[in-house]
Amino acid sequence: MRRVLLLGSPNSGKSSLFNRLTGLSQRVANYPGITVDVASGPMVNLPDTELVDFPGTYSLEPISGEEAIAVSFLNEALADDHVSHVLCVADATRLEKCLHFILQVIRECQHHQKPVTILANMSDVIRDNQLQFDPAGLAAALGVPVISVSAKESQGFEPLVECPAEGAAPATPPSRNWRETPNEILRGTAQQLAAQFSPKGDVLINSQLRLDRFFLSTALGGLAFFFIMFLFFQSIFTWSAPVMDAVEALVSGLGEAVVPLIPNRVIADFVADALFGGVGAFLVFVPQIFVLTLVIGIMEDSGYLARAALICHRPLRVFGLTGKSFIPLLSGVACAIPAIYAARSVDSPRQRMMTYLAIPLMPCSARLPVYALLIATFISNDTILFGLVGWQGLALFFIYFFGMLVALLVTGLVSKASKNKHSEQPFVLELPPYRLPTAKPLLRNAWNRCRQFVTQAGKIILAVTMVVWVLGYFPNGGADLGESWLGTLGQFVEPVFAPLGLDWRYGIAILTSFLAREVFVGTLGTIFGIEGSEENMLPLVDHIQASGLPLGSGIALLVFFAVALQCVSTVVILAREGSTRLALSMLLSYLVGAYLLSLIAFQIVSLLF
Amino acid sequence: MNNALADKALWDLRPGEAATVTGFGDALSVSYQGRVMEFGFQPGTRVQCLLNPGFGAPRVYGISNSVFSLDKEIAAAVFVTTRPPQEASS
Repeated sequence: MRRVLLLGSPNSGKSSLFNRLTGLSQRVANYPGITVDVASGPMVNLPDTELVDFPGTYSLEPISGEEAIAVSFLNEALADDHVSHVLCVADATRLEKCLHFILQVIRECQHHQKPVTILANMSDVIRDNQLQFDPAGLAAALGVPVISVSAKESQGFEPLVECPAEGAAPATPPSRNWRETPNEILRGTAQQLAAQFSPKGDVLINSQLRLDRFFLSTALGGLAFFFIMFLFFQSIFTWSAPVMDAVEALVSGLGEAVVPLIPNRVIADFVADALFGGVGAFLVFVPQIFVLTLVIGIMEDSGYLARAALICHRPLRVFGLTGKSFIPLLSGVACAIPAIYAARSVDSPRQRMMTYLAIPLMPCSARLPVYALLIATFISNDTILFGLVGWQGLALFFIYFFGMLVALLVTGLVSKASKNKHSEQPFVLELPPYRLPTAKPLLRNAWNRCRQFVTQAGKIILAVTMVVWVLGYFPNGGADLGESWLGTLGQFVEPVFAPLGLDWRYGIAILTSFLAREVFVGTLGTIFGIEGSEENMLPLVDHIQASGLPLGSGIALLVFFAVALQCVSTVVILAREGSTRLALSMLLSYLVGAYLLSLIAFQIVSLLF
Repeated sequence: MNNALADKALWDLRPGEAATVTGFGDALSVSYQGRVMEFGFQPGTRVQCLLNPGFGAPRVYGISNSVFSLDKEIAAAVFVTTRPPQEASS
């Protein structure tokens, strides 16, 4: 199969063009050795030609590790005999930011003897705003064909669907040799060409500026920011909840229908507990990931995400993060898994790693059932200030705030400790024009992200679930968790938890909660012999209070859960997106940190009360 | 074009004020000098400060129809002159 490479700088409409040229029939894959998505798909009307969409980059002179990987991958692709043509997308309304990249691409293509065609996108904007653009003149100056297209209106593609596959070029102008031209000369040429061919006037910048004056103003912009974040949280917590409930009901219904049909009790228990219980619990997150990806996509395509990064940059920089870390951190309050995916938007590898460090400390929704149980057990439900403020609500606020504070302290300390003269990357960000997002590509992207989550993380989560199930089920056939291998393990590790005032039962609950934090509540319910403790915690609260667990231990547990990385799915995704070393060091250091902090909390509370 | 023509840094421009880029300070690494030049901040190019969101946040600059946000570290190392374009290019 022939291949055509699609290149372009960010915000040039490359993804929209890719979608038009492939009819959205793409597959997104993490190519071996690189950490960025490379989508590919057969071209419409040319089923034997695969269009490969490269990550957007501003230059072939990389300034970050991720760009370096993308550029080296491009060089490999250009050397591939199957690659017959290169398409380079430029925003015709903003040529000044594209021309240096275009010249670099032409030079590299000439080195590899690959024909290149420039797709000058946004012809609809040029027409609607009565701007002047001369594609023939630019083609003559560059020595390669320039086609004026509109991805939005699907116009101008006719010469494209024939020629790239044939290896010929449409209306090829007299060639110019850029092969030996150094970058400095290319920059000067790009500047001259931009002055000559860029549409004149500032009509586009003026319309963008009106919205920026609102969204970036100190007062109204701040209010708009909080309102948009409010909608963001609502979408994750409230709007996706009915679908999550539906998935949960579907998995549970399927389980109830399938399990009675299995004659062998052990297999039936395995299917019920490990498959429908364990894997089902992980599938529940899929709708949340879909909604989250969709909402972030809307913010990105509309142009607001870049503005949000700008607003948050200054305060986050103090803690070694960047404005671009904001959305991943925000997503982490719902669930760390989509948040880790969202961290791909942080282009600096160092700041992306800082973002990874902070995400698991954000108070995710899986911690809520644990916090609710412990607060209900140890904190009075009295109110103060005429009933307006409750102690339990205050406790929840403090434990949420504590998690965020630890996250910022960790990134601040690590950033300071590992600081060198190259560590601080300056902030430079293109503010793309405001645009109305298109539904189809956004939905397709959200679907692809969910599919990736299920197929890649699912296999590992299934394996870990099976191991935990086997440990908890044998040798007594699931009759008594305390007598199982997991129970023996709990008693073995009891001395570790004893300094926190916790016995083996809490040790087991902590161990099983490494599968997912909320499992802590269910495990304690099983140990105390209470069914449905996840739905109704009150009987479990009574049992824990009756067991004589001291207040210090309760506070220690709260602190432990705020810091420890007890989520197999998060560790797996961290290993995939970052590295196995990073994931394991975070698992270990957060575990040790959580233990030490909870020990300190236990000692202080025991001294005071 | 050289820094001797500069009368201020890009960061010092007030919103609405336009200037011509004259060069870069040594505080900006060569790779970032290259990147901002690729964005269009080339010596001789007219640039305008569009917005100052306040509280030390990155400021917003326009070149032709492109808009960029630069923090102080970069914008303070881009030198400009507010003289008229013809005078600035002499």
